Amino acid sequence: MMPDPVLELRGLNKSFGALTATSNLSLTVMPGEIHALIGPNGAGKTTLIQQIYGALKPDSGQVFLNGRDLTGLSVPERIRAGIGRSFQISNVLMDFSALENGIIAEAARLGQSFRFLRPAFSDPNLIKGASAILDRVGLLDRAHLPVGDLAHGDRRMLELALALAASPSLLLLDEPMAGAGPDEGQRMTEIIESLRGRVAILLIEHDMDAVFRLADRLTVLVEGSVIAAGTVAEISQNQAVKSAYLGDED
Amino acid sequence: MTELFHFANLVRAGIRDNQLLWMLVAGFALFPLFTHFADLPFWNDVAMRIMLLGMAAMGLNLVLGYGGMVSFGHAAFIGIGAYCVGISQFFGITNGLFHVFLSIGVCGALGLVIGYLALRTTGIYFIMITLAFAQMLFFLFVSLEQFGGDDGMSIDRADFLVIDLYEPLRLYFLIWVALVLVALGLMFIIRSRFGVTLRAIKSNESRVEAMGLVPLHFKITSYVISAVICGLAGTLFASWQEYVSPDIMHWTRSGEIMIIIILGGLGTLAGPLLGAIVFLLLEEFLPLALGAVAPAYAENWMILFGPLLIMVVLFGRGGLIGLLDKAGFARIGKRKMAVK
Amino acid sequence: MTLTLILEQTFNGLQAGVTLFLVAAGLTLILGIMDFVFLAHGAQVMIGAYAAAAITQATGNFFIGLGLAIPITFASGYLLELLIIRHLYRRDHMEQVLATFGLILFFNEAIRVGFGPAALYSDLPPALSGFVEILPETPYPAYRLGVIAVGLVCALGIHLFVSKTRIGAMVRAGANNPEMTAALGINIKILFRLIFATGACLAGVAGMMLGPLTSVQPGMGEPLLILSLVVIIIGGIGSVRGAFIAAIIVGLVDTLGRVFLPSILRLFFEQATADGAGPALASMLVYILMAVVLIFRPTGLFPAKG
Repeated sequence: MMPDPVLELRGLNKSFGALTATSNLSLTVMPGEIHALIGPNGAGKTTLIQQIYGALKPDSGQVFLNGRDLTGLSVPERIRAGIGRSFQISNVLMDFSALENGIIAEAARLGQSFRFLRPAFSDPNLIKGASAILDRVGLLDRAHLPVGDLAHGDRRMLELALALAASPSLLLLDEPMAGAGPDEGQRMTEIIESLRGRVAILLIEHDMDAVFRLADRLTVLVEGSVIAAGTVAEISQNQAVKSAYLGDED
Repeated sequence: MTELFHFANLVRAGIRDNQLLWMLVAGFALFPLFTHFADLPFWNDVAMRIMLLGMAAMGLNLVLGYGGMVSFGHAAFIGIGAYCVGISQFFGITNGLFHVFLSIGVCGALGLVIGYLALRTTGIYFIMITLAFAQMLFFLFVSLEQFGGDDGMSIDRADFLVIDLYEPLRLYFLIWVALVLVALGLMFIIRSRFGVTLRAIKSNESRVEAMGLVPLHFKITSYVISAVICGLAGTLFASWQEYVSPDIMHWTRSGEIMIIIILGGLGTLAGPLLGAIVFLLLEEFLPLALGAVAPAYAENWMILFGPLLIMVVLFGRGGLIGLLDKAGFARIGKRKMAVK
Repeated sequence: MTLTLILEQTFNGLQAGVTLFLVAAGLTLILGIMDFVFLAHGAQVMIGAYAAAAITQATGNFFIGLGLAIPITFASGYLLELLIIRHLYRRDHMEQVLATFGLILFFNEAIRVGFGPAALYSDLPPALSGFVEILPETPYPAYRLGVIAVGLVCALGIHLFVSKTRIGAMVRAGANNPEMTAALGINIKILFRLIFATGACLAGVAGMMLGPLTSVQPGMGEPLLILSLVVIIIGGIGSVRGAFIAAIIVGLVDTLGRVFLPSILRLFFEQATADGAGPALASMLVYILMAVVLIFRPTGLFPAKG
């Protein structure tokens, strides 16, 4: 019997005036699956992520997380419902160290952010939790560095670590390899691969090597519509996809 | 001798933020000794005013320096704190503790309402809205003839039961105690989970949202806390000045407090108090300096203050504390990051 | 409560409204396009008023005073932007607030040094010191009608300029999307300087017109500044049309409110309460209006962006 999907999109539509960004879009992400969303630039991938995330309201259609309709829920509410997100442009706290980033996220996860008495940055519990978060992505040895001093690849790692901090059931990864060199890309790919089976992932990525290695299933988006969906093997044979997208990419 | 040795070591290593704060606070405690022996009792008055301004600046610094919210309306809370005393006395209530609790309640409630209305906006809108609300309250008190209107109302020093505030130095140390409580409170708040989250919101609001938190809740809470602190400063100010008028809440007074914060160092614990000291010293000495150079224009010393302020903004980032950092006497700007 | 009184106060409200518009128009563009918190805009009003009053006194002719004061205020705004303001665009809002606050202190004190702290003598021009019958048996000061006329002409002029000329199109583009406008290669620096100078000029005209009606003294611009901020909040940052409509509304509400609210209150409450609360409520009326608009439209009635 098929398990219930972690993420289900039903008939999402979004237009900006005359521009259709999302057109009757439906897809599912199963538990533990890495589901890649690919398509040419401007296909509406980030717009779709924004609608799942809650930053954009779809004109019509629904988003279900573990069977729960997310319509009307704000971004923080969706995070607490089990979504984690990494941003295309690093969105970490630049004025703090990596560990401090983790501590603030850990306090948020524990629901303790509204406490006024004990110092947060020297709290052993928070430090333990934050260290675990950083260890998952191999940042522990650079934990005390201010984020501004971290290399770009490390910042992307921190981005991923923070997205994982609250043990989400769905992870939205918006171009995690963006701007990464070959080594950093390799590292990132390995870490994402290690997550397979443990958290459902919707991955936007242009790096085709990474996509073919990581993806269990692919959905191909062109001008806001799904033109193909299936396994890597199926998609790489698909003529329409080849001409629309893979043929133009290297 | 060990104290001096310790102090010298501190200076050599670079004073940390809270150390500087407590040094200043201790200095204020010892100051009356100095004025007694130097026979300059007038300076106790100046010191009280510095402590009160510093307290208000600390309150505003919470939202401005640590929270990143440019609120131009905090003088209104100072004024309301002061009017709590005046209006209570008008109705025959002279108990100082009552004034304090009334001030906390009214400023807290008002801070909640104004904060909620204003904090749903950002940027220039937020600045303008806080400014407009402050002016609204200013005009309200100007038009309340029964409480003196434009002319204001005179105030007796509050009756704190066992403490007679007319005895010398009683009011001084009452203000000092309040300053200590505010400083302690802020020190705890800044380092707490709430405080670091607030600072994170200033750094990157959408990241905090992505952690599952609602930034607005934190902003409003800090706004209310800062309103209460400013109200407390105002309540004590009423007893100090023995007079209150709407001028205390004119929007230019909000500007003054901002100036104090930036003179001392934005977003630091010691900055507001340091800035208050610098500001009041400038107020005393700029007229003297101008009088020495151009006696006919001694009254117009403000003409120097304006450009001075512009210079500080353009070139003096980090205020006095920034300068101390650069000279190596302090290590406040370079915050020690949390380690494993 | 006669028809004459209502009509007279309505016209007063219109006059206050167009004056506010002149101040708010430039400021809303500065706020919207340059994202610059220019608190010292009130000083521009003061500079215009003093320039006109001083020249009028020297030449004995109000219109010469007006005519010469206009280029003077334009130049003062131009120089201010060139020397100081443009260095502050990149700074955050708090620093802009503090720097322009410093400018206010400087200008007020400089005027005090130059002209003394007392108000400057500024009288109605003889040509406009009479009354006009706007309705039979309803005389109204000709000068105030003149102010309304000037304000409306300026408003029309701005509207035509912004909607019909190429520079106007750039201004509109700048209000709508400053980053894109810069990316289109339009010389942002000169555009900003001209917008700033024009805004200063308009504010100055407001000051010049107000001179004979109120007192020309240091700090006279600050109350207008605050009210124009309220106008901009209600109208929407960056929108000249919003500023116009909001300014008229604010002018009318403020004027009519102060005159009639106590009377209206007396219909519902007893004399003592109405007389006590009336003036208080009337002075807060405009701000209450602002708060109400904010609850439903946080970005104003006619926001320029998006």
